[in-house]
Formats: sequence, C-alpha cells, structure tokens
Amino acid sequence: MKRRLLALSAIGVAGVMALTSCSSSSTSKATTSDGTTTIKLLAPDYGTAGGPDSSQTYWQGIADAFHAANPKITVKVQTIAWANWDQVATLIQDKQYPDILVGDAPQELAANGLLYPLTDVMSQSTISNLIPVFAKQEETSGVAYGAPFTTSARAMFYNKKLFAAAKIAAPPKTWADLQADAAKIKALGGGNIGYGLPLGPEEAQGESFMWMLGNNGGYADASGKYAINSAANIETFNFLTSLVKAGDTQPSPATTDRKTVWSDFAAGQVGMVGGSGALIPIIKTAGKLQTTDWGVATMPGKTAPLTSALAVHDDITAFKAGGHAAEVKQFLDFAYADKYQIQFDNEYNLLPATTSASTSLTASDPVAAGFLATVPTSVVYPNTANWNTLKSKIQQTIGTGVQGTDPSKVLGGLQTFATSNQ
Amino acid sequence: MTQTTHPDVRGAGPGPGEARVVSHRPGGPLRRLTRALAPLPWIAPATGLILFVVIWPVVAMFQTSGQHYSSLGFDMGSAGWKNFTRLFAEADLTSVMVRTVVWVVAVVTITMLLSLGVAQLFNKQFPGRRVARWALIAPWAASVVMTTLVFRWMLDPNNGAIVVFLHQLGVVKDFNGTGSNVLANPVSAFCWEIFVAVFVSVPFTTYALLAGLQAVPADVYEAAKLDGASAFRTYLSVTLPLLRPALLVAALINVMNVFNSFPIIYELTGGGPGNQTATTTIFMYTTQQTNIGEAAAMSVVNFGFIIVIVLLFLRASKWNSAED
Repeated sequence: MKRRLLALSAIGVAGVMALTSCSSSSTSKATTSDGTTTIKLLAPDYGTAGGPDSSQTYWQGIADAFHAANPKITVKVQTIAWANWDQVATLIQDKQYPDILVGDAPQELAANGLLYPLTDVMSQSTISNLIPVFAKQEETSGVAYGAPFTTSARAMFYNKKLFAAAKIAAPPKTWADLQADAAKIKALGGGNIGYGLPLGPEEAQGESFMWMLGNNGGYADASGKYAINSAANIETFNFLTSLVKAGDTQPSPATTDRKTVWSDFAAGQVGMVGGSGALIPIIKTAGKLQTTDWGVATMPGKTAPLTSALAVHDDITAFKAGGHAAEVKQFLDFAYADKYQIQFDNEYNLLPATTSASTSLTASDPVAAGFLATVPTSVVYPNTANWNTLKSKIQQTIGTGVQGTDPSKVLGGLQTFATSNQ
Repeated sequence: MTQTTHPDVRGAGPGPGEARVVSHRPGGPLRRLTRALAPLPWIAPATGLILFVVIWPVVAMFQTSGQHYSSLGFDMGSAGWKNFTRLFAEADLTSVMVRTVVWVVAVVTITMLLSLGVAQLFNKQFPGRRVARWALIAPWAASVVMTTLVFRWMLDPNNGAIVVFLHQLGVVKDFNGTGSNVLANPVSAFCWEIFVAVFVSVPFTTYALLAGLQAVPADVYEAAKLDGASAFRTYLSVTLPLLRPALLVAALINVMNVFNSFPIIYELTGGGPGNQTATTTIFMYTTQQTNIGEAAAMSVVNFGFIIVIVLLFLRASKWNSAED
C-alpha cells in the first residue's frame, strides 16, 4: 500500500516535470540557424476531424502550396473541433500562443495587448479587398487587429411542402403574417412546428438579434452604446412571448439549441426557421427534403421584411509573441487568394470575406448569391471588448424572456450586466 | 516534492565528521530528532499525496475567489471581496440556494425511504431474489450521464418513449405541442431531475442498508417475538435503531453526492430556462463562463456548505457511538 503511494507520488512528480517541460519548450525560437522559419496556425475544424471535409485538409493544402512557393517558411497547421474550442482559451492562458489564430474575434485579445495590428501582418491590397462591413468590425478604437476570414448571412428558410399543405401562398413578410402562417402549419398536426425559435444556450444571441432588427432594435443604439432593454426590444420579446404562448413555436425556446431546430427542419417538421448557408448541408444529409422542397426568404419584420440581414463572421488574428510578422504577412496574403476563399465556401456553404471572391461566387452559385446580396447592408454584432462575456450571459438568460419572465426584467438584467462589466 | 518524499536523508544515517560523533551519544538531541522523524518516510508519501490532490486545489480555489480575472482568464490582481459581493448581488442566487436545499432534502429523503423498503424486501427469501438483486445494480453501474441521456431521449417532445406512451393514454394531446415538453417547464423539469437522481441513488443506498440489515443478529428478533411485539413495533424499536449506523453513513454519502451532483441537471436542462432549474453546482458552472472569480466564490460557498454538513454528521455519529 505504502509502496503504491510512493509510486503514485513519484508519478505525480514526473507529471509535474512533464508539464513544466511542455510549457518551457513553447518559448523556444522557431527560426533555425539555416534561416528557415516555422509559423504555427491554429484553426477550428468546420468539418469532421479526420473526415474528408476536415479543415485540417484545407489549411494543410494552403500550407503546402505556400511552402512550395516559399521554401524558407513552414506553416504548422493544427485544427481543433469547434466543440472543444475551450482548449484555445486554456492555451492562451498558458501563454502558448499560435502565430495565427483562426476563429476568435480580436477585441478581447487586442485589449490584452496580444495581437499585431492588421497592417503589420497583411498588405494593403489584401486589406482593401476585405468586405467593408466586416473589416470595420475588427477595429478596437480605430485600429483593426484582425481580418474577417469566413462569413455568413442569416435569412429565413421555409418548408414549401408544409406551406402547400397549409395552403399558404407566399412566405410571410410581417410578424402578423408569420404568426398566422405558423398557426396554420401547427394546425396540420402530426407534431409539425410553425416557427422554430432556438433561444437555448447555443445561439440565442443570433436568433434574438434577428427579431430585434425586425423592430428597428438591436443590442446597441446608433451611437454604439448598449440599448438591450430599449422599448423596441421589449416589444419584440412581448411579441415572441405571445408566439410561444399560442404554441406557434416549439414548446421550449429557452432550452432549445439551434442544432436541434435545424435538424427538425431538415427532417421536414418545421415550417419556418432562421438559418444560414450552414443549414443546407444538414438538409442534404437528412435526405428528407429535396432542393425544391425548401426556400429562402428575407426574415419578416414587424411591418416589413428586414432591410438589413444579420451577418456574422469568423476572424483571423496574429499574435505578437512569436515575432514572425513578416512571415505571417506573406502567408496571409497568400491564403486570402480568391481560389482558397471560394474553396472554403464551397466546402462548408459559408460566404467569402473578400470583395473579389464574393463577385466570382455570386456569378457561379445562385444560393450563395442570394445570401451575398444581403451582405453589403448587413448588421453585425457589437464590437465592444466585453461582447464575448455578454454573449455568454445572453445565451444563458435571454430565452427566459419569452417563457413567462417579464421581458423588461430579463433585458434590463442584461443591460445592467453589459454596462457594469465594461 | 523530492524533499518531502525523501526527508532528511542526512539525519537518518550517520553523516561525516561531527555528526557521527553526536549520533554515538545515546539520547542526544539529534538522536531524538531522528527518532521523531523516523515514521516520516512511511507517512510522507501519503501526506504528500493528500497535500497535492486535496489541500492544494482547496488553497487554489480560495486564492482564485480573491483574484480578478479578465474574460480571457488572465489574472489581473487582487479583487478583494468583489467576487463575493457580485455573487451575493446575483438576482438568481436566492432561488438557486433554496432550490439546492429542496433538491438535496427531496432526493435524499425519497431515496432513503424507498431504499429502506427495497432493502427490507431484498433481505427476505423469495424466488428470483438473486436476479432482482443483480438487476438493481444496473442503474448504479451505468454512467450517470448515460442514464440521464436515456431519460432525456425518453422525454423528447416529438418521439420520446414516455411522451409517446402519454400520448397513447391521451394525456399529451399533440407531439411538439404545449404540455408535451416536460423539460420546458421549470417545475416539471425539476421534478423529473429529482426522479432521475433518486433512480441512480437507490441502488447504492439499498445495498448499504441491506448490509446493515444482514448484520442485525437473529436473536434480537426472537427476543422481540417472545415479548409479544408486533411486526411494526419490532421494526420501529429493534430494526431501525440497529440500522442507525448504516442509515447515517448512507444518508451522509447521499447528501454529499446529491449536493455535488452535476450531470443530471446539466444533461436534462442545463439549469435552464435561465437558471430556473439550477442548483449551486450548476450555477457555479454557468457563472464560470462569464466570470471565473465569481464562480470560484460560488465554489467557496459550496465548500462551506459541505464542511457544515460533514461537521453535523461527525456530531451525529459521535452521539451514535456514545449510545451504543
């Protein structure tokens, strides 16, 4: 017994030593004596790790082509599944910075002084090719610390089969239309859901935002100050409460995640749902709906469809710690070529982040063209430094505002949280 | 670490020069020190292990609760009591605390009462007892997350087995309709969570009590019978008092388990909607996503809870051994 304990504590000591040796190795210089440099790229996997659609393949392809053109620079690619993305926070807390990070917004990292300004790591010609609405989003007090890499826009998907069965001629334009149509679809019975409203922890901030926009609301007012509990937003949530109460949505919006609603839509059981291009492969995989069975329409607003859609994007940022600004710049200029942008969008049904790639994709892909048309006027999330923290809070609590808790109380609580944690 | 596992190597054997001379003198101060330190090589590994895996995390937790962390997780220096004041200012905290007490009391009470009955049954001879005893192990042997997931699927508002059954009985009118999603309503969801917690707690408790029952000597029952005690009277005055040590242990372990239980609530509702089905453990987890320091403060409060419970138990068991 005691011997075992001794062995155990020895293992503990060895473990601690192994940990310290790991962290010390990360500080070693990546430039070797013969002038070759290795830069590390860390990216989320938009596909399945190890599968044919893994993003590892995509990035490795670029890295290999880049290495062939620039033999002195090697790009080491590492991908982590979105589901395990927490690991990145751990790496950063541990000061194990990559040179290039794909995925996270720059504000928080920039506020901690970890990032290169974008102009240090991307040439002016590439920067000016970025879609302006997203590029603007990268700024922290006037300086951009990151670049959009992939984007998507939201619209409403509807099930044409269910619409026909419920004798609805056209997709709804206003909230009142939507409520009436949802009621008709629900009345078909068989467990059909009128409108899929995912306000669970996965994506509540996006769904809420789309509805707020329909009433000229949003998370911030025109001056950029948080206005979560504005009268317009409270009215929006009162409407959503009535929608839920009438049974026109699935039973529990506050605990339903977007992936559930999307797979229900793909299974043909949901009349309408807010979606992006990422829903299309899910519909195809499920195999229940043919391409002619579903349509995409602009999200309805209170009195008219949204004039500006919600668009979201994932970013590329470059860390200062490695000191490889020049090499990163060469690589990013290489990786932002149209063919790689379009390759990514075709693989995952997302949208490009550059103007030139958008133009050529608009010409070749009608579905993407529909989404891309909404991008120039689209609305994005606030780019405040505490948005990430606020987002977690929104995801946890905002759904209660449509399930019986007074919306002014829920939104008021979020407003207090947003302004007191800046 | 090396120092604690191999303590005082120089003192243990005769060292060079002066030390050797000293060690030859019987009863010298060094000799006494050596003798006092003699058990150290045997207890040091265990002590070291406890320090490493128990005390260190506790210290780290207390430290974390006093630090201010940025949203990226960087330590920004001392926060004083700010994490605690923020925690106690949370609008949901009171309801979460009350719910935690309800959760622990309800789950442990129902579990204990059910297990007393089941243990009594399993202590009797009946055909198929062996099979029944084995069957009871299943919920215990299965991973709690797995069991909970099975329940979540059975409660799916569209095609869950329980919902389909209720639909056939006419209790649930429409699939995906109001009333079909019991996990949506905080009250019904919490009741289901209590049910699942009881389901996974009963096997252990039953076996603990069964062991206690088997330890009761047969002659006390004989004596009770000779005195003309009724079955109910025998149970109340003979079985229960003799079962008290087993009852106490089972209750304490259950209280701690249930208080710290995370997977059942997390998998069924995630504490939602909002925090309306969260206990303090779940609340700590959701707080951690927005504020690490505040979550650590919640952990400290939880730790305090557990300490109080353990102290109460130690007191109860002392009272118990005094009466024996």
